[in-house]
Amino acid sequence: MFDKKSYTLYKFHKQINQSFQDRRELLECALPALRDMFRLDRVYFFDWQQERAILSLRMMCKKEYCMDMQEDISVANEPAFLRQLLQKGVAETTDLSYPALYVLIRWLRPTVELKSGEVHSFMREKVGVLRLERFRKNRVFTDAEIDLIKDLGAEISHNLHNTEIDQAKNQRLSISTALNDLSTIFASSLRLNDGLELILKGIQRYFHFDRVHLYLTNSEGTRIKSVLGVDISGNVTQESGDSLRDEEKQILKEVFESSATYRAKRSVIYLPLKVQRTKVGFLTFDNILSRRKIGYLDFISLQQFATQMALTIDNARLFERVQELSNYDELTKLPVRRYFNEKFAEEIYRAKRFGLSLSLIIMDIDWFKQINDKHGHQIGDWALKAVSKIIRSSLRQTDVPCRFGGDEMVIMLPRTNSEESKVIARRLQERICDVVLPDRNALEPEHLSISQGISSFPSDGTTANELLEKADQALYVVKQHGRGNFAVYREVAEQVQQTSPEEQKEEK
Amino acid sequence: MILWVMPDSGAKTMEDYATLVALFKKENPSVDVTVRVFTRNVLWRRVFTLKDPTHEEMPDLIQIPHYWTALLVKAGVAENLSQLDPGLSLTDCLVPLKEHCYQPGTKDIYSYPWWFDLSALHYRADHLKLVSARPEEDLKTWHGLLQICQALREQFGNIPGYYPMQNSDWRGSLSMRSALPCMWSRGLNFFTEDRAATLVGSKEFKEALHDYITLALKEYMPILRERGSLGTIVSGKASMMISRKQGISMFSAKRGMRVCTLPVPAAGDQSAAYLSGMNWFISTLSQHKKEALMFIKFCARPDMQLRYSHMIEAFPAFEEAFEPFISSSPRLQVYKEILPTAHTLPNMIIMGTVMEILKRLLAMCAAQIVEHRFTQASLDRELDMTAKEIEYLLSIYKG
Repeated sequence: MFDKKSYTLYKFHKQINQSFQDRRELLECALPALRDMFRLDRVYFFDWQQERAILSLRMMCKKEYCMDMQEDISVANEPAFLRQLLQKGVAETTDLSYPALYVLIRWLRPTVELKSGEVHSFMREKVGVLRLERFRKNRVFTDAEIDLIKDLGAEISHNLHNTEIDQAKNQRLSISTALNDLSTIFASSLRLNDGLELILKGIQRYFHFDRVHLYLTNSEGTRIKSVLGVDISGNVTQESGDSLRDEEKQILKEVFESSATYRAKRSVIYLPLKVQRTKVGFLTFDNILSRRKIGYLDFISLQQFATQMALTIDNARLFERVQELSNYDELTKLPVRRYFNEKFAEEIYRAKRFGLSLSLIIMDIDWFKQINDKHGHQIGDWALKAVSKIIRSSLRQTDVPCRFGGDEMVIMLPRTNSEESKVIARRLQERICDVVLPDRNALEPEHLSISQGISSFPSDGTTANELLEKADQALYVVKQHGRGNFAVYREVAEQVQQTSPEEQKEEK
Repeated sequence: MILWVMPDSGAKTMEDYATLVALFKKENPSVDVTVRVFTRNVLWRRVFTLKDPTHEEMPDLIQIPHYWTALLVKAGVAENLSQLDPGLSLTDCLVPLKEHCYQPGTKDIYSYPWWFDLSALHYRADHLKLVSARPEEDLKTWHGLLQICQALREQFGNIPGYYPMQNSDWRGSLSMRSALPCMWSRGLNFFTEDRAATLVGSKEFKEALHDYITLALKEYMPILRERGSLGTIVSGKASMMISRKQGISMFSAKRGMRVCTLPVPAAGDQSAAYLSGMNWFISTLSQHKKEALMFIKFCARPDMQLRYSHMIEAFPAFEEAFEPFISSSPRLQVYKEILPTAHTLPNMIIMGTVMEILKRLLAMCAAQIVEHRFTQASLDRELDMTAKEIEYLLSIYKG
């Protein structure tokens, strides 16, 4: 048989021994239970800040409901009260006009801290205080009641311990789920920039940061190349490293010298991104506007994720470099034919879809074979480099030049009609004419010249092959007429038709 | 529909909202309304997670201090009420409250006025009679207030736990909101006129804060002591209080006690009061926007404005209810004089953050005062650092 005390304890245990999401939920259950058992008018729960001797009121339970509260009470000047509370675990108040009892409760909570760069996971004692009030009928607390309340306080302590452990486990679980999701997002994005955008947005969403930024640096970590960010509105921002303020640039040294940095009362985190000795950049997360602290657990999890992120960015950069090498001709630094064909097909599709103009120039260096024979292949290569350099510097960003093979080069000019392409061809011709071959033995300076054939979409053709063929035929006409010039297919079409394909091949 | 509200009337909040919701439900029986009460602190943290909710329960309608509007628009958590109901108007709203409803620089309404309060000085006539022949005159200036405090201390010093001033701060600590009139009465503000820099580090701001802190330093006002048990006007353990609450029910609860109300004593050339508005906003993720808007309009109705303002002892936000409210009690007449001197915190993205920073700074001062290690030099140093922090915020968020 249970005695009355055991039965009350059992009843209370059954009531509060559940799985609670957090401390608040537990207190919302425990405080009303206490209120009803002891016919209390009010029950309070305080956090005990021992080092400052301050009781911080967190929750009040009255009549039918509980409410979050916020009030600090210093007990630094009440040594007798403090002594009694700490020694006996209970103390009756001295300055209220009605019976009120303070009960000390202690429990262990899982804590993660960073000390000298190392993560320490341990249990820390937490202290709380319950205050039970009876102000309506001024009924004092009997010794038996005080005894029972102390036991119930211990039960609350036990449940607070379990709840905090559960909460920490859930938190870790949700963080690892979040990081797993983020890794999946990253792995599934085809373009690095898209992937990074998704990652930053994901980090902001999962961890509730005000802002997230990724600073990409050169491999020495001495210069910020670009910054990708997500602001508090969820908008993606992108900035070049040159436009940053000096203070932001100065951060570099500090970031790379430490493994990670907490700032401004843990409202800001900097995480360096490094792969062995290669510096990739750094991540910043901040809650500067909301002033919410960033927990150690979040910090540590993000630190682990940053390592993975650095590796992925570094790999992606290497991949981009390899792609660059395979798409560009090493000698002229111009795109190769395969890359050009892809872009050309895309551009023709766009021109058809939106009714845009498009032109194509095919050119070659006049008497290139003779240059090679006379001056050697080194000078021939030099001529190719010089011409391609002029091409690269004379075109718009949207134009796509390409080394088609040998000394033959092709330029695609999106949104350009035949008249506009003539302007470009003339410009190239004039600039290349100024180039003199570097031959010390030559008596007179030997200038380079080029011949160019132009075709335009849709008047001269609507497919890539048609346009290439027509531009090639126009080039043939130029060559027939002495080289060093350009021609638009439409304007020389009649002359082309008079020439057989065999003749054209011969001329080439 | 779920409402997140603040404790408008302390421990009575749930009862007051229950009454209001019952009236709403009488007219809209099909709408379920659940009320959750959160302190400003908790709400501040929670509004930042509204966009990507982690709580099982998502609020539809949320009560906020009106100067948070710009921030919530920026964070993308507040619904554009003008889009939700193009007919929604602020025509009848009191002028000082209008600007705080809009997204800055536009006429798009993102939050709607609910009620407001206004700071004033309350004093026990019987206590003051013993130390001043003309309290209205002596309490016109901050200097006069400190002198009266000293006289009251001498008069009632033998009463255990007596303080001349009651602390009206919710946390029983030092409060920036209570210190604001000292700043404004010097003609000072938080920011320069173009809002590009802060004046928090200025000499005048430091002096203004010092005026307020003197109340705690000289032990004229209890800090970090339990409110309600120490230093209250009603219990006779205090004689004065600077508060935004009208205190009518509290003061009239004690028979025979006469409490008078005056404008907050001027620390500078002119008297200034702090007008603090409360607004509603609808969460962008709400599934009950129509119902939430219905509730907003219900609360803005003159009869509800009058009723709720009486319940929580605040002021109606709309002209139609304000006039009859003021006329309803002779004790409220003084607020007609106070209202034109009222100042509000600007509706800027960073304003809530600035108040958070200053709140922590004052909490630190309070602890130092209690532990007898406060110095003006350390406060000045902290204010200089705070000014730098605010300027950094301004540089990021451009106000």
